[in-house]
Formats: sequence, C-alpha cells, structure tokens
Amino acid sequence: MAKRETPLLDQLESGPWPSFVSDIKRAAESRHKNERNLEYQIPVDVCDDLLGVLELSYEEGVTHWKHGGIVGVFGYGGGVIGRYCDQPENFPGVAHFHTMRVNQPSGKYYTASYLNDLCDLWDFRGSGLTNMHGATGDIVFIGTTTEQLEEIFFELTHKFDQDLGGSGSNLRTPATCLGESRCEFACYDTQSLCTHLTHEYQDELHRPAFPYKFKFKFDGCPNGCVAAIARSDLSFLGTWRDDIRIDQEKVAAYIGGEIQANAGAFAGRDWGAFDIQKEVIDLCPSQCMSLEDGKLAIDTKNCTRCMHCINVMPQALKIGNDRGCSMLAGAKSPILDGAQMGSLLVPFIKVEDNYDAIQEIIENIWDWWMEEGKNRERLGELIKRQGFQKLLDSTGIKALPQHIQEPRSNPYILWKEEEVEGGWGRDINEFRKHHAR
Amino acid sequence: MAFISSGYNPSKPMENRITDIGPRDFHDFLPPVIKKNFGKWAYHEILEPGVLMHKADSGDEVYTVRVGGCRLMSTEHIREITSIAEKHCDGYVRFTTRNNIEFMVDSKEKVAPLKKDLLSRREPGGGFKFPLGGTGACITNIVHTQGWIHCHTPATDASGTVKSTMDELFDEFTHMRLPAILRISMACCLNMCGAVHCSDLAILGIHRKPPMIDNEYIDNMCEIPLAVAACPVAAIRPSKTEVVVKGEKKTVKTVAIKNERCMFCGNCYTMCPSLPLADKEGDGIAIMVGGKISNRLCAPKFSKVVIAFIPNEPPRWPTLTKTIRKIVDAYSKNAHKYERLGSWAERIGWEKFFEICEIPFTEHIIDDFRDPAYYTWRQTTNFKWTNGVEEFANIKK
Amino acid sequence: MDEKAQIVVDFIKSKEKNKSKFYFKDLAALFPDEKPRAAKKIINKMIDDEILEYWSSGSTTMYGLKGAGKQHDSEGEE
Repeated sequence: MAKRETPLLDQLESGPWPSFVSDIKRAAESRHKNERNLEYQIPVDVCDDLLGVLELSYEEGVTHWKHGGIVGVFGYGGGVIGRYCDQPENFPGVAHFHTMRVNQPSGKYYTASYLNDLCDLWDFRGSGLTNMHGATGDIVFIGTTTEQLEEIFFELTHKFDQDLGGSGSNLRTPATCLGESRCEFACYDTQSLCTHLTHEYQDELHRPAFPYKFKFKFDGCPNGCVAAIARSDLSFLGTWRDDIRIDQEKVAAYIGGEIQANAGAFAGRDWGAFDIQKEVIDLCPSQCMSLEDGKLAIDTKNCTRCMHCINVMPQALKIGNDRGCSMLAGAKSPILDGAQMGSLLVPFIKVEDNYDAIQEIIENIWDWWMEEGKNRERLGELIKRQGFQKLLDSTGIKALPQHIQEPRSNPYILWKEEEVEGGWGRDINEFRKHHAR
Repeated sequence: MAFISSGYNPSKPMENRITDIGPRDFHDFLPPVIKKNFGKWAYHEILEPGVLMHKADSGDEVYTVRVGGCRLMSTEHIREITSIAEKHCDGYVRFTTRNNIEFMVDSKEKVAPLKKDLLSRREPGGGFKFPLGGTGACITNIVHTQGWIHCHTPATDASGTVKSTMDELFDEFTHMRLPAILRISMACCLNMCGAVHCSDLAILGIHRKPPMIDNEYIDNMCEIPLAVAACPVAAIRPSKTEVVVKGEKKTVKTVAIKNERCMFCGNCYTMCPSLPLADKEGDGIAIMVGGKISNRLCAPKFSKVVIAFIPNEPPRWPTLTKTIRKIVDAYSKNAHKYERLGSWAERIGWEKFFEICEIPFTEHIIDDFRDPAYYTWRQTTNFKWTNGVEEFANIKK
Repeated sequence: MDEKAQIVVDFIKSKEKNKSKFYFKDLAALFPDEKPRAAKKIINKMIDDEILEYWSSGSTTMYGLKGAGKQHDSEGEE
C-alpha cells in the first residue's frame, strides 16, 4: 500500500511506454519489504516521499528543489550535485537529496554482477533511484544525504575500483559511441581513446580550474551517434583518407533486390523497389558517384564522406582503410550567445596506440583557454571573441581552406605589423617632402 | 537506522584514500563474441524493429535486442535487467546513448525466447517494461533531463512529458515507417543540460516570469555579488530597499532586476535561493524542430523554435502531445525518403511548414536576440504563398 | 601555512565584506608569473590542507575559505 496518495502521478501508469511512476512505486514497496535485510543508511520511505513531492509539483506546476553548493568528496571539486527539498518537514525522506555521478565504462557495456554490486551499494546508502544514464554519460545516483557521500565514494573506490565523474568547471566525464566493439562504421577505437584520455586527465576531471565546463566526446564516424559535434568543446569524429571499398557483386545484389537496402531500416513502409540512381547516386551531396555497365564508381577526391551511400548499402560499401579522426572545437548549447556546432580544427589525425599528438593539441587549447577565457566562457565563445586564428596560433596549426565554409565577405583584415613589408614605422617628414600640408 | 561505516575515517580523510582511478576498463564488460570480433565487423542488418544482427569478418554473428527504458530507473528495474541478462545473455548487457537497453546473444535461436521474455514483462498498468524497437527509420527513445523530480530550475517535468509523448508516439518506436530517423529530446529549461538544440524535435521547458525577490531574507541567504554576477544579461544590480519586520521599518541590502531584460534562465536562482522564478501560469513548453547531428547528406543543423509556448498540463500534457503528433504526421506524410525533418522544412520552405503543420505563426518565432537574428530574416523575394498572406488587408495587425 | 597560501588567504579576507566565493581565475591572478596549471597546484594543495573548499553551482565551480559564506548555514550542513 502506497504511503502517499498520488492521483495525478497514477495517471502516468497507463499507456504502453514504461512508466517511471510504476517503477518508483515498486522501488518504494521493495524498500519497505527489505528482503535483502539491509540496514538502510537513508530513510526507508525516501521513494514514497519523492513521489509525494513530485505529486505536489504536478498539483502546483512548480518544482520543490533548491540547489546546494556541495561539490564532491574531499579533495574533489566535482561529481556531486547538491539538492535540498524546499518542503523538508513534509517530505523528510528527501530533505537532503544529492546526486552522485559515477564514471561509466566506455560504450556502456556491463556485466550483471557489476551492476548488481552497484545496486547493492545504492540500496544500502542511497535512494535506489538512478539515471541510466545522465546526459553527459555518467551513471547517475539520485538522492542521498551528505554524510553518505564519503562512505559511498570509499566503497566505490575500495570495493568496485570505480571513480566518480565530473561536474562544475572541469573536464566532464568523456563519453563515446560503442565504436569498434560492435559497429562496422567505426573509423577508430573510440572506446580506447575515450578511456585513455579519461585516465590521463583525472586531475582535470576532479579538480576544477577551467573557466567553465569542458567536454570531450568521441564518435566513430560522421553519423555521430553520441552527438559529439553538437555538444562537446572538443569532438573526435572518425573519418578516412582513402577510397570507400566497393564490393561490386554486392552492389549488383542491392540493385537486384537480393540484399535489402538500408540494412532493413526502412522496412516498415512500402517505398517501392530500391533505386540506386535515385536513392544513392542522385542524393550524393558531392555528386561523386556514377554507375556504368552496372559497376559503381566513386570519385574519392570529391567525396566528403557523409556516410549516406555506406548507410544505404553497408554490405557493398565500406569505410576506407586509412583511418583516423577529424577534431572539431567549440560546440555548445545556446546559453548564452546562441548554440555553436564544433568548428573543424584538425581535418585528419591518426588515432593509434600513441595519442601524443592529440594530447598536445588538447593541452595547447587548455593553456590558451585558461589564460584568455573569461569566467563562465566556453571554448567556443572564446574562439568567437578572439577569432579562429587565435585557435590556430594556440595549437600551431596552419590555416586551411577546410577550416571555412566560405571566405570572409568583409575586407576588414586586421593585418599585423610583421606581415606588412617595411613595417608600420614611417617618417612623416619624408612624406611631407612630396605632399603639401 | 544505525550508521555503518565503510571504513572511511572522517578525521583523517586522506587515510587509505583511493582517488583518480577513473572508470572501469570497458574490456572487462564486453561479451565474448564482442571481444573476439572487436574492430572486425563486416556489416549489420535490422531483422525486425528492435532486433539487429551484426556479422563479423570471422563469420560470427551477434544478435542485439533493443528495448526502450526510462532514464529514471530504480535498482529494482536494473536487477530485473541483470536477471534477464543472466538468463539469456551470459550476464552481459549494455545501454545506448539514448537510454535504450541492449541485450546481446550470439546465435539466432536465442533471439525468440529473449524477445518473448522481454515482451511478457508488463507493468501493473499494462505498459511494457521492455518495449521492443528504436531501430531504423523510427522515433527512438527521448533523451531528457530531470525536471520536477530533481532539478531546481525546471519549467516543466521531464519524465512526465516524455512518458506522455512516448505513449502517444509508441507505434513509431515499434515500427520503421518514417521517411528517416526522427530524434526527439527534452530539456526542462533553456540551460539545456540535455543539449536538445540539434534534435529533429525538441521539447523545451521555458519560464516567462522574472524572479521574485525575497527582500527580507536575501542578504542572509545569499551573497549578493554572486547573484549579480550570475545573470548572463546583466539585468541584476545590487540595491537597497525598506522592509517591515515585526512592525518595524528597516533598510536591507537586496538586488534590483530589470525585468524587461530577463531571459528567464534561472541562473540567479541557482546562486541565490531568494530569487525563485518558477510559476504555474508562467511556465510551460516551447517546441523546436529541424535539428540534426549526423553529417549524412547535409551538415548538422540547429533546431528552430516553431511554437513559443504551450502551457503545462500535468499529468499528461495533452496539448503538447497532440501538437507533436501533428508535426510527426505531417512530416511522415510529406517528406521524401531519407529526408530529415529539418531538410524537409527547408525544401518546402518554413512558411509552408507552418501551414502544413497548422501551427499559428507568432512574432515570438522571429529571432530578435543579438547579431545572428539578422541571418534568419528573409533577404529575397523568393517565398511561397500560404493561406491568407496574398491580400495586404489580411496581414495588417 | 606557506607564503603562497597566505597570499590567497589574505586576498580572500580582504574581500570578505562582499563575497566569500571566487572563480579560479580570480585566485590564479594572484600569481601572475605562474602558468594557470601551476597556479592550480597551489590552490588545490590548499583544498587538501583544508584551508579552502569548493562551491559549485552545478555548472561552475568556485573557491572559498572553508566554512565561510552565507549559504552554508541556510543548507544546514554543519
């Protein structure tokens, strides 16, 4: 029997999609039953009270949470978000209800035993409610009290070999697509690069000293399943330099309808027979494909590697063999001066066992941003304020036509003195000899 | 409730402390067939909605059964997931970026029993615990933020709007019949910790009333310079005012807010609990459309605001879900194969988009925020006629 | 307390009438000859030595003297 009446929330228990309300109710019931016989370290009715305070928000149309400045465990400046209920007397179970971010494994693969261990810990010392996963990628533990933070951290590190994620003005928990583990489109091992950089930059992740947040995200190909290009200050998108590999027999099989196009992704509607001319060759954004005598040709020099043809015919067309990634800088959501996509900085870099060149770029960018960035200024905003050229200077990268969508349409070039023959120092008296006042 | 120590000693926090160990090594969590064929995958097929087959160069196959999940998930539910993983998948499972759950098996015979098991698990209200789908040309799971369940600046609830929307669009999750994938995301205020700014369709909570000022308490609760500095549009300045406390007038330090400058972000409330801004009538939802992340066919795009405000209607937000349904149906009916929602709107013209989707256009949709606004106005005579604009008499305010 | 830590403490105390929390850059500016990453070492050591503590808005992190500030009391933490 539920401890509190929640008539509004109850209406979210119908319908086909999984109901978070049913789930929380079940969690509440299980907490009261306590079949694992736990000595709960936070109130037993935490889930009931959470539903109660949410029901109140559904009645009143406003939130009942306050932010708290608590940041993390001792020595860490991130990983915990402080949360307090503004109705603590009515909902004592959730009066203090802090979030902990737990750094997820790259690609979000788990063993059942590991997840069960985390569940045991979180039932014992927290609310038993989680996000699988938060927007940044972490496993999010929702709701515990201040005195449990250190205890949870101690158990995570000692028993489970597991650290917290980031929050605040630091490197946020890096996130990646599943990459080469189960995707034929992956142009580099996203999981290894993500894991390597996460370990390499633990200090930046736990001890904030940046002007604002900083995100890395890793997408194995230009399809962009983790949205790196839109939301990470530095994004790594897989790409290649050589030819798309073509299996002409398989191309013929797609044309003949023996293999279903799009790997079956459009199978739910009758779109008619697959038409390679209309669906692939004519749609190619750089018009670099042609079909002659049943053989498909791709003019690699004019290909921009958008992935469309490969997505449509994954058995016939494969990413090239000379692979690496493009790096783009400065993406962010709109607050404040408008959203920014990542801007292309490094067209191609190899991603192999040695990541030194990548780390050099990262560290040069950080040095520049830490020196020049204003408080709460994202990298993308600094690039806008000081100019793309400054980003090139800081990373020692030459200006390339790949860096731009189009050339500038104003001629206001701020020449530097050293660029102009003879410099700027001139003699006015010499000038006056030939030009009257 | 006796306190049980983990072994941590609060008087000596550095004793036995382990720090900076990072995440677990992902290799420890890979199913054997994945580990064996890492980096050697040949191609994939979607056998039916929610079921993928990846073929390796070695000839090995891995079958993935994808089901929707609530991002907000209890340990009870996680334990149910792990028990399914133990029963069918040798104890392995993974989650996707969009909060779906993927169960993987290494042979085709194992798919049917797994599917049957997943679909048999229902909630007391009849809903699926593990709906199968989210693959191909569909609407997959909505990525979202916390909302009223845990955030301090939300303008709406996240889990509730998402549940209501996914109930409405459920058949698009379980089928693959749209012109292209349609990604929906939800953020409960304009700070967008859910980064919804590049989605085909975004549900965005917005406030419309500037903060109230708790004059009597603000100087005790908050550091005024922090509240002033938190405002991104410099609408807050330090000030003094008179309050009456227990019948006595006194002058207190406080802030003054230029209301007409407020962009309703709530950053001041984060820094200072004496500046609450949430409000039943003021808060609601904006809808943005036409964004995308992928580089496929054309460059990634930002989402655009097409509906400035829909009131909050908990628990099921009927106006919101009906409006979304209308946009999805119009797109599904009219877009070409492979055309994302934003590309469709650009091809037909945004003026047509509003007409076809029957969305009333208001001046709020015209950008007026700083420099980039100019680039969104029309600087050409190329436009299409839509209902009612042909006659000047019709367009006078 | 070493000399560098004292500079930080003196600076924060000189401002205590107005505010108790500072951005990293405000503190790093006290060491104009050091690169930001070297300044970070000084400041983080003060966290470990329990002279300073972090304060976070969730998105932004600030530094203050341990236990100082108004919000502490209102949150009922110690």
